[in-house]
Order: sequence, then C-alpha cells, then structure tokens
Amino acid sequence: MIKSYFKTAFRNLARNKIYSFINIAGLALGLACAMLIILYVKDEVSYDRFHTKADQIYRITMQGINKDGTKGKKEGNTGYLQGPRFSANIPEIKKFVRIQQGNENIKLGSEINSQEILYVDSSFFDVFSFPVISGDPHTCLQNPSSVVISEDEAKKHFGSTDAIGKIIMLKDDSVFVPHKVTAVTKRCPQNSSIKFDMLLPIKESKEDASNSENWFNIFLNTFVVLNPYANIKSVDMKMQQFYTADSKDAIVSLKKQFGDEVESWKSEYFLQPLLDMHLSTEMPAQNGLSNASNPMYSYILSGIALFVLLIACINFVNLTVARSVKRAKEIGIRKVVGGSRKQLIMQFLGESFFLCIIAFVLAVALVQLILPTFNHLSNKALALSYLFDVKLIAGYILLFILTALLAGFYPALVLSEYSPVKTLYSRFSISGKNYLQKSLVVLQFTLASFLIIATFTIYKQFNFLTTEKLGYDDSDIVTVGKGFKTHNEAWLFKQEVMKDPNIINVAPRNEGSWGTSAKLSNDSTIHFDYETIDESFLPTLKIPLVMGRNFSAAFLSDSASSVLVNESFAKKAGWDNPIGQTVNFWYNNNKTYTVIGVVKDYHYQSLSEKIGPQLFTMKPENPYGMVYIKIKPNSTASSLKTIQSTFKQLFPQSPYSYVFMNDKNFKSYEAEAKWKQIILFGAILTIFISCIGLFGLSVLSAEKRTKEIGIRKVLGASVNGVVAILSKDFLKLVCISLIIAIPTVWLAANKWLENYPYRISMSWWLFATGGILVIFIALITVSFQAIKAAMANPVKSLRTE
Amino acid sequence: MIELKGIYKWVNTGNNRTFLLKDINLSINEGEFLSIMGPSGSGKSTLLNVIGMLDEFNEGEYKFLSETVHNLKEKQRAALYKQYIGFVFQAYHLIDELTVYENIETPLIYQDIKSSERKAMVADILDRFNIVGKKDLFPTQLSGGQQQLVGIARALIASPKLLLADEPTGNLNSKQGEEIMNLFNQLNKDGVTIIQVTHSDKNAAYGSRIINLLDGRVEK
Repeated sequence: MIKSYFKTAFRNLARNKIYSFINIAGLALGLACAMLIILYVKDEVSYDRFHTKADQIYRITMQGINKDGTKGKKEGNTGYLQGPRFSANIPEIKKFVRIQQGNENIKLGSEINSQEILYVDSSFFDVFSFPVISGDPHTCLQNPSSVVISEDEAKKHFGSTDAIGKIIMLKDDSVFVPHKVTAVTKRCPQNSSIKFDMLLPIKESKEDASNSENWFNIFLNTFVVLNPYANIKSVDMKMQQFYTADSKDAIVSLKKQFGDEVESWKSEYFLQPLLDMHLSTEMPAQNGLSNASNPMYSYILSGIALFVLLIACINFVNLTVARSVKRAKEIGIRKVVGGSRKQLIMQFLGESFFLCIIAFVLAVALVQLILPTFNHLSNKALALSYLFDVKLIAGYILLFILTALLAGFYPALVLSEYSPVKTLYSRFSISGKNYLQKSLVVLQFTLASFLIIATFTIYKQFNFLTTEKLGYDDSDIVTVGKGFKTHNEAWLFKQEVMKDPNIINVAPRNEGSWGTSAKLSNDSTIHFDYETIDESFLPTLKIPLVMGRNFSAAFLSDSASSVLVNESFAKKAGWDNPIGQTVNFWYNNNKTYTVIGVVKDYHYQSLSEKIGPQLFTMKPENPYGMVYIKIKPNSTASSLKTIQSTFKQLFPQSPYSYVFMNDKNFKSYEAEAKWKQIILFGAILTIFISCIGLFGLSVLSAEKRTKEIGIRKVLGASVNGVVAILSKDFLKLVCISLIIAIPTVWLAANKWLENYPYRISMSWWLFATGGILVIFIALITVSFQAIKAAMANPVKSLRTE
Repeated sequence: MIELKGIYKWVNTGNNRTFLLKDINLSINEGEFLSIMGPSGSGKSTLLNVIGMLDEFNEGEYKFLSETVHNLKEKQRAALYKQYIGFVFQAYHLIDELTVYENIETPLIYQDIKSSERKAMVADILDRFNIVGKKDLFPTQLSGGQQQLVGIARALIASPKLLLADEPTGNLNSKQGEEIMNLFNQLNKDGVTIIQVTHSDKNAAYGSRIINLLDGRVEK
C-alpha cells in the first residue's frame, strides 16, 4: 500500500512541476532558515555550558542604591575584596576566582608588542574547565612569575606546544621580567565568554587586600562556585549582610574625606548565574569577558525563521486545497473502489511527508551552502557537525514532523471528505467562498508586509547609525596608543612628528573613557565623562565651540585652573551663561576650575549611546594615553613612516601600533552592518516565498476560470478587462494584509527604536514604499498568469469544456 | 439480494422540496441482469448510487443480502460494498497517475490483500480481458473502449456479487459498446448480478428485466 502511495505521490509531483517546485522550494527555504536559526540560537544558549561546574558558577554582581533609597544601575564588575571576603565568610561559596583584564608589553625576539592578558587567581582552573594540554592546572598560577599560555601563543613563541619551563619576557612597570611557562591550554572554545591567550597570576598587594575601602573600587569580574545545594536567595542575603557590616568602618572614614556623597556608593549584592551572562543586556559579559550578545538578534532571527516557515506551510496548504479540484476525481474513484477515509488521509499525509523529505534534504544541502556566509554575517563559527547532537537532531526531526503535519493535515482532511458521487458526476466545485484560503493568503502577506516594512526600518536605522555625522571629522586621523609618562613627553613627541610638513596636527588625549563627578557652585553634584586633552584636540577633530574660547598655550593658567564643557554639561548644570562658572573637584583638595568655553555636543561614543555631560581638562596629573594625528590627505604612506620612526626613536621600549580613526568608527558598527544584511535577506526570502505561493494560486484560479474567461472574451471583454478581473481578487487580499500589517509594524518598530537614543523617525513614506512594493510585486506575480489566461483563444477553452 | 421499500430522496431548495426518488419499491434477486431506463434527470443514476451505497436516501428501507443498510454505520456500509459491489462508469474514471496494472490493483490494496496474491489476481484478470500487453500504459494512452475494459476489470477484480454500471457504453462507439455488453452477458451467466443504467433500448435488451424511471418514480 505504501509503495502505491509513494508511486502516486511521485507521479503527481513529476506531473505538476510548477506546483511541486513552489512547494518544495518554499519548504526547503523555510526549513533551511529554521535550521540555520536553530543552530544560531543553540549556539547562543550553549555559551559557557562546557564548564563541568557551569550550573554552580555565579558572577558576583551588584546594583547601586541611590541616596534616596531607589535602586540604580546594575553592575557586573567587582573589586579585589568581594571574592576573598565573601568566600571566607559564606559557607556556601566553595571557591572564587577574579578575572582582571590588562595589557603588558611582551618581547618576541627584538620586537616589542602589546599583549592582552587576563590576570586571574590561582583557582582559575578549579572553577573553569578549560582543557589544559600540559602542566598542572591546579598549581600553574601559584608562582607570581608564572605564565599560562594557549597553544596558539605557544606556537607563536616557541614553534610548538611543548613550552613548559620556557621563558617569556613581560614588561613589569619599567623593566622586562622573565616569566616561566607553567601550563599550555587548548584554544578556548568558540562559545566561551572567557577567552585568553595568556594568563598571569593576579597582582594584589597586601595593602590592597586589607584595605576595606576597596569595597568601592570596582574593576574586575569575580566568579564563585557554590555548593550544589546552596540556596541562591540566602547566599544573596548573606553577602548583603556581610558587606553591610564589613564596609561600615570604611564608609565612616570615606565620609570624612568625601562627605555625604559616599552614601550613593552603597550597593546591593547578588549573584548572576554564569549561564545567564552571555545574553544579559543589563549586566553583559565585558571587562575581560567577551562576545556578549544581545538576545534581540535571537528574537529577530527566530521571528524571521518562523515567518518564512509558516508562509511556506501556507503555500502548501493553499495550493494543495486549490489543486484538489483536479484531484477530486481521483479521490472519488479511490473511495468507490473501497478506499476508506482513514486510508485517504494517510495517503495525503504520506504525500506531504514525501514532499517534506525532499524539501528537508534540500534544506540540509542549502544550510551547508549558506553556512559560511551566515557565519561571517552573524560573527559565529557554526558548523553542520553541530547536528551530531542528540537534542538538536531531535529538534530537527520535530521540526520536520511539525512542518509535514502542519502542511499536510488540513488538506488531507479536506480532500478525504469529498463525496464520490459529487466528484465523479462533475457536479463538484469547492463550496463556499474559500474563506480559509483567503485568510491564509491575508496572513501570509501580512507577515511578508510586516517583515518588509520592519526591514526598511531596521535598515534605515542601522544605516543612520553607520552614516550619521558624529559631530567631528574623523578622516585622515591616525590614532597611536602610548602611555605617556608626562605631558611633556607627549609634547616632545608632538614636536618631533610635526617636523614633517605632511602632518597637520597632533592631539594627545587620555586613554579609554573616564568618568567622574564634581560639585557645582550651588553644591549639587554632577556626573560626567572626563577628557584630558590639550589645545589642539578640538581643532584636530574639527569640533566647534559654541561659546567662549579653546584652551590656549598663551594662557598658562589653562592647565591649572580652566576647563571646557560640552552643551549637555551646561544644560544639565542648568547654566544660562556657562562661561565663568566653576566646577569643584571636592575630593581633590577642593580644587576649583573655571569654565572658559562650551564645546558643541559631538558623539564621542557610538550612536547607540546618548551624549552625556562631558568635561575637558588639561590637568597635568591626568596622563595622556594616545594621540590623534591629522595628516594631509594622500600622504598616508610617508606620514605613517614619519610617525613610526619618531615613535621608535623616542620610545624604543614601547610597542607601536596605529589605527585610522574612521576605520575604527566604522568597525564599531560592523555588527549592525552585518545584521542589516541578514535581515534584508530574510525579508527578500519571505516575499519571494509568499509570491511563489500567490503565483501558484493564480495559476490554479486561472485554470478554474478558463471557461468563464472564454465566455467573457466571446462576449467582447478585452485582455485588459480580463486581467483586471483575475488580478482584482488577489490584490484585494494583499491590500487587506497591508491594512493589518501597517499598524502592527508601526507599533513594533517604534518599540524597537526606543532602544536607540538617536533614531530615525517613522515617516509615512517608509510605510508607503513598503506597501507599494508589496502591491507591486504581488501585481506582477498575479498578472503574469492573468495575462496568459486572458490572451488564450476562447474557441479553444470553450470547445474543450 | 436487494430489497428496496418506499425509498424517498429529496433536496431542499429554498422552500421547495425537489424529489429525486419517490417511493421506490424494488427487489432484485441474485443472478439478475437489470436495466434501468428513463430520460435525463429521471433519477436513474441516483437510484444506482443509492443501491451502491455511495449516496444516502432520506426515507425508506434498504436490505442488502439480509443486512439493513439504512441502519448500518458508515464504516460497516463501506465494508459491505467494498466486499460485494463493483462499479463501472460512463466516463471510465480511471486514475490518470496510475498504470492499467495499478488501476486494477487499487481495490485489492484497499482490501489489504497480500502483494503476491494481488499479483496473481491482477495477472489473471488481465489475461481474461486480453489486455496483458497494455498493463504498463497510462489511461490516457488507451482508447475509450480499452479504458472501459480496464474499468470493468477493476470493478471485477475483487469478485463482487453485484456489478453496478452507469451508462457503461455511453462514451463508446457502437462496436465497442457491443463488445462491452457481450462481456456483461457473459459475466451474468457466470453468476454476477448486474444492474445497469442505460439510454439505449438495444443495450437494455441485454438484461433480463427492465424498469423505467420518470421523475424519480418507477413507471408501471
């Protein structure tokens, strides 16, 4: 019996090529999307699961408590004290490890490079399960001059992974110190939040460890292992109790120094499961931890996959039911010769399974084909070999069965119900007004329109992020990182480099982003981003002043007592006339600075961050960490040469590297640019699958109406008239879809855009373009078949009737 | 074999009730060859379908081989006609996607007969109908007469007691028609009860009894 079903199914497919193509191609694309996204999501949720104690590992995190008692920002970082003090006093905590990010200069032959380092406690390998190739993981980090390296690093230095006992020279403060390799590890798994090439024992002085004021100095990540039966809530509570008691004295003494402000430094401690960290947006994996991911992408992708698969299934249902008029005779005969309804349902389900199997195989091939591109776009290293995972295979089989059932069950029910008397005596037509088919088409096009307009929005927003003017000129600027010991050292470098006429300007600045707070003259406190620059910073980056003057070498007092602020600062401070206002660094001997100028707001962070208050100083105590060098256009090669040779000459012991500022800015939106492509691709796929479905329906509808069209033509209808009649019904449905889709997508897009402080406005033409595009594509699809039907010779169609 | 008592069948269109069958009383014995005649729309095919259990009736009693059909459940009725009844249609009604062989085999598949047995049975009937050479062709590759032969072969493959034929020669030329009627005669002699619907007096004459229908009633 199965053989017979198989045969009919196969012959049916072979005979109806358009129909088979639409169904198989649609399902294959839908399944391929779903598979890719299952791979992606699986990878996202698999982060950090490879640690054997993954379920017991937590990160110590906290939430600030404001002075008025409300809760503030959540913070994933901790300091020196949290780990050791909590674990010594809370019995549930078995072990702790602190991970601090850093850089050290490393000597490789005669070359000096900057090496990224993780400073960790010696318990690192007791907490985490990174595979170690050689060396004893439990003791390898006990000696302060030991170093643990990855296999890649070992090969780089020694040509093989056989590196135990060998020496690596690392610069400690001012001199290179030998470190002995005590262990070599495998490359960190791709789905790990902690990635390292080099581990060093954490450097903590005795004074640091005993100073209770360090409760408030947070700059690293602390992980703890709890005993398996620990109650998290009670550990949270114990941490809080212990912290409150232990930090009491420190707060009293800090208050003497900093005043009541200290009250706002208090926080509430709690644990974040290691497994939640990768997808956390509140407390992301950062500061030495990497690959933090926004679950938004998982949601968007899952949405696309679901849409595409659903639309493909709708195609299947609609086409199968629509085509059933043609198969009605077969069904009638089968019933007359003794086929029961159950047997017929089985036959049709069998057919849909058969079709799904073909689509499934195609989908697997398709996934294999797209995977490299997808990996590149989604910044992952996924492989189909992930498939050899029981759960995943089970997931795919479930997906397959669900798809086959979803697509096959309804048609099977409908088709098997036909009464043989009706079908065999050509009294048969699909009864009713086909509400189901119509609603499915509406649903399909609602989803497609939604996705297209959503894509437009996402595309436009990401485009805005990547192309919007940042408020400064980042062209032809070379950034060189260097920790200058004094401002004079920076100025010396500047003087030397400027001897080259191709170099227009050099502006030193502090490294990274600093933030602090100060008091205004009305005694209120203001938090701001804190930049240490010199007088050439604003001209180099072409950042305009809106009021007052820039720092100037002519005013010697500028470095000692003047500051610049940006517009947001002035606004936040509530100053009508900022010039001459004062800012008091009360914790720094009550030093007071006068505002001499207001800088126009510019995007000093990425556009996904709001411009905050910003203060610029030339304070000699604040170190410069980098220089911006403006060069003449088209002088790149020679200018870079000058910069490098000057650098090497002045600072032979420092690693030299440079980056173009516009490259760096562009890179910070790399993820957005890639997601833009993925989402665009998803939308194209959705509309494509919807349209092939619509095409199939229009073919069947035209076939069904051959006679009607013939009669109309005989009565004098023009080709245009007939095309209009045939296309009208479908276009009506597409229009209804748009009416449903537009408000929905408007709400969803606005909600999504709220994530971005700087965003595009949802303009009407976005919807209009999307809507017209959908209608246009649908019109082409439908009219193609309609024109063909309308051009047919009526004599022929009527005679065959 | 068949006992129809006071069979009524109607459809409601708006407030009007149109009778398709009116008070049909008919008994047919095993081994009979009955011809049902009448003009278009007189209810011939409807009556045939009621007898064949493809269609329901609204009122009356129907006994088939001592089973009261109107009391049977859908499933039991299906089992009954699967076992005892074969159908032949004017338009042949073969499945276009299946070959001659497969078309004939289909009823056996639905009766869960083993593959080896099926092979033997189909080979036997192909031989009997002299269409062995055509067994791998598809219906569209055959002439009308040949298609009808296949249709009859399919109807007979499960050795039914009753053969129902709805204008079996309606689409055939007279020579082909004659061949089919001779075949029916032969089958009847072999013990198959036959009920045929026909327009042609000549074909009706092959039967052992003729009834005339007019407006859903049996004309006396």
